[in-house]
Amino acid sequence: MGVFVNYACLFRLLLWANALTFITAVNIASDATELSGDRALNRPSSFISVPHAFQPDSFRQFLTLGLSDAFPEDMEGTENCLELLSIFGQRYVTLANCLVSYARPVKVCQNCYTDYNNFENIYKNISSDQSGPGNVSCQDSLLWSDRLMLLPSLYSGLRDIWESAACTNCLTAYQMNLSNETLNFLAKLNQSLICFDKYQQGNHSELCKKCKTAYKQLDELYSKMEGNKTLCIDIEDAMNMTRQLWSKNCSSPRKEMVPVIAVSSFMLFLPIIFYLSNYLHSEQKKRKLIHPKRAKSSHSLMNIQDKFS
Amino acid sequence: MANIAKKVSWSGKNDETRGERTPLLNGSEEVRYNRQLSGGPIFHIGRLSTVDLEEDIATEEDPVRSRPKEIPHNEKLLSLKYESLDYDNSENQLFLEEERRMSHMGFRCLEISRWVICGLIGVFTGLIACFIDIVVEKLAGVKYSVVKKNIEMFTEVGGLSISLLLWVVLNSAFVMVGAIIVTCFEPIAAGSGIPQIKCYLNGVKVPRVVRLKTLVVKVCGVICSVAGGLAVGKEGPMIHSGAVVAAGVSQGRSTSLKKDFKIFEYFRRDTEKRDFVSAGAAAGVSAAFGAPVGGVLFSLEEGASFWNQMLTWRIFFASMISTFTLNLVLSVYHNKTTELSSPGLINFGTFDLECVQYSLYEIPLFICMGAIGGLLGALFNLLNYWLTIFRIRYVHRPCLQVMEAMMVAAVTASVSFAMIYLSNDCKPLKMDNSEEYPLQLFCADGEYNAMATTFFNTPERSVRSLFHNPRGTYNLLTLGFFTLTYFFLACWTYGLMVSAGVFIPSLLIGAAWGRLFGVLLPNKTFIKPIWADPGKYALMGAAAQLGGIVRMTLSLTVILVEATGNVTYGFPIMLVLMTAKIVGDYFIEGLYDIHIKLQSVPFLHWEAPATSHWLTAREVMSSPVTCFNQLEKVGTIMDFLSNTATNHNGFPVIVQASGEQSGKLCGLILRSQLIVLLKHKVFVERAHSRLHQRKLQLKDFRDAYPRFPPIQSIHVSQDERECMMDLSEFMNPTPYTVPQETSLPRVFKLFRALGLRHLVVVDDVNKVVGLVTRKDLARYHMGKHGLEELHLAQM
Repeated sequence: MGVFVNYACLFRLLLWANALTFITAVNIASDATELSGDRALNRPSSFISVPHAFQPDSFRQFLTLGLSDAFPEDMEGTENCLELLSIFGQRYVTLANCLVSYARPVKVCQNCYTDYNNFENIYKNISSDQSGPGNVSCQDSLLWSDRLMLLPSLYSGLRDIWESAACTNCLTAYQMNLSNETLNFLAKLNQSLICFDKYQQGNHSELCKKCKTAYKQLDELYSKMEGNKTLCIDIEDAMNMTRQLWSKNCSSPRKEMVPVIAVSSFMLFLPIIFYLSNYLHSEQKKRKLIHPKRAKSSHSLMNIQDKFS
Repeated sequence: MANIAKKVSWSGKNDETRGERTPLLNGSEEVRYNRQLSGGPIFHIGRLSTVDLEEDIATEEDPVRSRPKEIPHNEKLLSLKYESLDYDNSENQLFLEEERRMSHMGFRCLEISRWVICGLIGVFTGLIACFIDIVVEKLAGVKYSVVKKNIEMFTEVGGLSISLLLWVVLNSAFVMVGAIIVTCFEPIAAGSGIPQIKCYLNGVKVPRVVRLKTLVVKVCGVICSVAGGLAVGKEGPMIHSGAVVAAGVSQGRSTSLKKDFKIFEYFRRDTEKRDFVSAGAAAGVSAAFGAPVGGVLFSLEEGASFWNQMLTWRIFFASMISTFTLNLVLSVYHNKTTELSSPGLINFGTFDLECVQYSLYEIPLFICMGAIGGLLGALFNLLNYWLTIFRIRYVHRPCLQVMEAMMVAAVTASVSFAMIYLSNDCKPLKMDNSEEYPLQLFCADGEYNAMATTFFNTPERSVRSLFHNPRGTYNLLTLGFFTLTYFFLACWTYGLMVSAGVFIPSLLIGAAWGRLFGVLLPNKTFIKPIWADPGKYALMGAAAQLGGIVRMTLSLTVILVEATGNVTYGFPIMLVLMTAKIVGDYFIEGLYDIHIKLQSVPFLHWEAPATSHWLTAREVMSSPVTCFNQLEKVGTIMDFLSNTATNHNGFPVIVQASGEQSGKLCGLILRSQLIVLLKHKVFVERAHSRLHQRKLQLKDFRDAYPRFPPIQSIHVSQDERECMMDLSEFMNPTPYTVPQETSLPRVFKLFRALGLRHLVVVDDVNKVVGLVTRKDLARYHMGKHGLEELHLAQM
């Protein structure tokens, strides 16, 4: 989208008066190609297409109509911004779709990163300082001009989800691809799951024996990644499920009840012996009483108590 | 009426004894002999100044009364080893001269140096707190990770009893080191140190309590005992450490290291030192809990009789500096230099904003919790009281004490292990988990044992997780068993010969049952669970339990409010502490008071015991009193001072008027002053013979402070024994006096408010009749059957 910004500046300088329609045309064209490209490349399972109400053209018309009714003089500036707005809408929907469809079991990081990148780009575009033609900054008109501030809150909602999922840990730099470590983990995970499936029907102890190596390797890899802080929600979730599966079948039993209890009760027995032997054998500490000298010796504790009795 | 009758009969007897030279008088023959030589008529001198009695010791010569009677140790004793601090300033001529010499600028400098000292106290206390914190963290980290690795290794293949033994051995080893250094090098460093500091601030000179050696042993000891996994905290010792730092820094030298920096010489006396010690204690509290105001109030609550505005402000300064230093150093250590986010050793963490509220309906619940805390606290104190008596009577040899401590450590470890082993409470691990050493044991992979978070952790961390972990982290059984075990472990641990505090264990017990309370509440009632946040109840339970055990009021409220950083809870915490104190006091005293009593310290409480107005100074005082003449023979003084049966500290100085038969009071001189005079041989004859002899200054007295040489180390030749000493220049010319009829509460008030050490009782013509000291007052206390008198004992 940086290209778009540069173009916009250039055109604004050269074709001040009559280039507006042309620019919007270019924009739409470029966006349209991008969108279709995204869909084709990265969404093997996109099951919902963008609803009709949000088709770019109708959406724009709808908005322009509404706004131009009220503020006809702002037309020039808003035209460009509305374009951005509609793109934002599309990408928001796409991303939300993707997130929802991969919610359970969690595979959002693996599948939605391109959508997220696109979504983030458009928001950055809107919020960049450079003003479009007509010297109007879309940042002001779209983001901060009303109390609701819908776009920022929509954006921050999705961004928070993305951050708490910690997807960046599983992706390469600039979130262009899945990282090697993640791919490696997914491969290992697959191995284990296949193994589990294979022995599911049979005896559980056999499953425990046969799949132990695969599972242990997976567990080690996971621990290593945990140490490196390269975990994202996908991996955590997958590991959790696997662990549950494993523990359901193969958990270590309490084998040593007797020795542990024996050692503990022996320890508990020690103090009893200790105190008892002290009581019996240690000589009791005595204190030598000293009689204070008082002016009146007969006046002592007994006198005090007499008085009170 | 009885009172009056008694007085009449007494005065009658008085005349009688005067006439017949009194079997009551129990002065040594030697003394009488001296007296005769000095020329006074026998009877009256006998009455006034035969041996005696400042610190109330019976002489062997008395055949009837001094047959030593031996009884087992109990709490109704006063020990002779404790003396008073000389808080009252001796305004002798040397002092006046020095004051005259001192310029206006000099006083300014003194004031500034007081501030500097307070700053230094804060800095050093903070640094010590950091040191303890970091070392404990490291050692405990090593220990727990070793044990954890071992447990993980043996969980599947079997052999967990080996892990148990490993844990036991590690714990015992740490505790053994801690117990050995305490028992062998400095037994006074045992325990939390708060009772000792309380006594010091009360005006009792507890031997060796503020020495450098004590500090070193205390710091190392507390590290060992916390790392050794005992049910103890490091907060109480921090207060003691702060006090020692203050006593050391303010003197500008270390007698132990024989290093004198030649600074702050003016502050080398008990008055100044004690003020600084209160600042040090405050700095200690503030470093321990991140509660500077709480620290100031702690000093105020424990040693408050001698306060003024400027001192309070200075103490506050020391507290703030201390918490800031701790904060700064720890944040540098944790690589968050600018954050300054760890103000205290214990960090309760801040409570979330949503759950800080409490509603009106909860107040009765809080009060109820306070009552429970008071009951449990009283039970704790009672058990600990019996245990302590047993320990004093039977477990008094160092090797036994070390063994006992090791045993407690071993049992703590094995009980904890058994609890963890048998627990079925598994919780899923979370990403932002606060548990540092989650143990899986028999839980499914990815889960941890909830019991292990309470036992397999340093106590501070356990408190924090009880306060802050969300609802559902612990199930009921876990909490119940934990409370029960930890209660007995903590009770058993306090009073061992290791340096360790009781704050954290109490908080932990309270937090556990408080949380239990909070978890049970929505189950059993129809209350909306929104406000029944278990963390909040954990906090209230912790406050109730701690209040029930130590019975502190104002300072504890503020400390808890500051440590949680939450003013909203001020009111409920106050209510809880009040209830806990009221309920607890009904059964037994606070833990610190019990230990002070069991150590037989002559501790003066705020008020004289009720219903003691009928006691007068005449009955309270010690009599007869050893007096010196203003011009006294060296031999006489030497004999008095070296008499091992009497370790009196203050001697009234009398002047013999020519016409009178006995002397009138003209001053008071202290043993320490006499020793310095004898050491420098300030005799009248020598002054005549050697004109160039340097005049004695106040500095000479300060240099000898605080460890005045014993009288045995001073040698006086036979010739010198015949010399005379002029005491008039050195004695305090205006000692406080009271007439014989003054009531006990009045005398008590003078003592408490002025910090007196000696109060001379005089008759209507200003003749010395007796002397009241701290022990004479402290022996009266309210028992179950009214006023009781404590015995004096040698120990």
